[in-house]
Amino acid sequence: MIEPSLALYGETFDKVEQHLDELLAATGVRYCLLVDRKGFVLSHKEALWAPRPPALDSVATLVAGNAAATGALANMLGESTFSEQIHQGEKGVLYVESVGDNALLTLIFDSSVPLGRVKVYAKKTIAVVAGLLKTLQDVPAVSFDQSFSQSASALLDDLLG
Amino acid sequence: MSTINFAAREINCKIVYYGPGMSGKTTNLKHVFSKVPDHLRGEMISLATEDERTLFFDFLPLDLGSVQGFKTRFHLYTVPGQVFYNASRKLILRGVDGIVFVADSAPNRLRANAESMRNLRENLLEHGLDIKTIPMILQVNKRDLPDALPMEMIRAVIDPKNELMMTEASAHEGRGVFETLKAVSKMVLERLSQPT
Repeated sequence: MIEPSLALYGETFDKVEQHLDELLAATGVRYCLLVDRKGFVLSHKEALWAPRPPALDSVATLVAGNAAATGALANMLGESTFSEQIHQGEKGVLYVESVGDNALLTLIFDSSVPLGRVKVYAKKTIAVVAGLLKTLQDVPAVSFDQSFSQSASALLDDLLG
Repeated sequence: MSTINFAAREINCKIVYYGPGMSGKTTNLKHVFSKVPDHLRGEMISLATEDERTLFFDFLPLDLGSVQGFKTRFHLYTVPGQVFYNASRKLILRGVDGIVFVADSAPNRLRANAESMRNLRENLLEHGLDIKTIPMILQVNKRDLPDALPMEMIRAVIDPKNELMMTEASAHEGRGVFETLKAVSKMVLERLSQPT
């Protein structure tokens, strides 16, 4: 069985983006990412004043890897998962919280931002976004025809020689 | 890292390099990283110990481009091969779309190959996946070793029923690396166009 990652697009994508924007504005965080549990970035937003973010693919992969590892720890301790994680550094904070079963909300912000406010707004956003992601599961899977794999093969030939 | 455009749909595929310790999984990824043009790949992440043994995973994102309006991208992962790292190895298999099993040609690693394959089966089963349903390639690596075992002998141990496609490689010279990646990518993409 191939497990496709959540495909976020169209109207649902726009709605999710809008909620992330609002979260960014309300809390003053630098970067806000929605990452699926496999480590793919579903959506991301950054504050206009913030410097260029680090490589987002790398962030997403490490956050997902970390969530998987702590999830395994949680299981050993008799929990189903640790839904919320805060990593506090000298200057900044990484805040990760589960959004339903398939996704993780990742917020990166400066120590000057009050953590309590971030938590309150993040939980609100998560409630809404989790609902939106749930509707995605009912959407019929996209199907591809033979010409798809042919053009994909052509691209592979180009890339890998 | 360029901004990701979600206006178009994306296809993301996860390919995992599996195999016994020191069989050359990370070397495969390093070769891909060094040869693919900058704009098509992201940064490579290695969570490794000081002596460069993989501790958690290596990761390399690879952009294929757009296929019929679908942005297609591969995420390549390796697992730590050492026997005692099974907990983290299992995590990395989560949601895998295709597997490259990197086998070692050295005579004293034949048993390690077999154990790693058995471990792969067990771990997949724990994720509720049957090994037969996942696109998989057997890459027989280190063909340049002077005492390398015959390919068929290695296959007989890892894949006695001759079910897997086999490629020959010498990853530190770059030989066979792209052939393997291309073959497994094609299998994964063909899977997408088959009605399930």
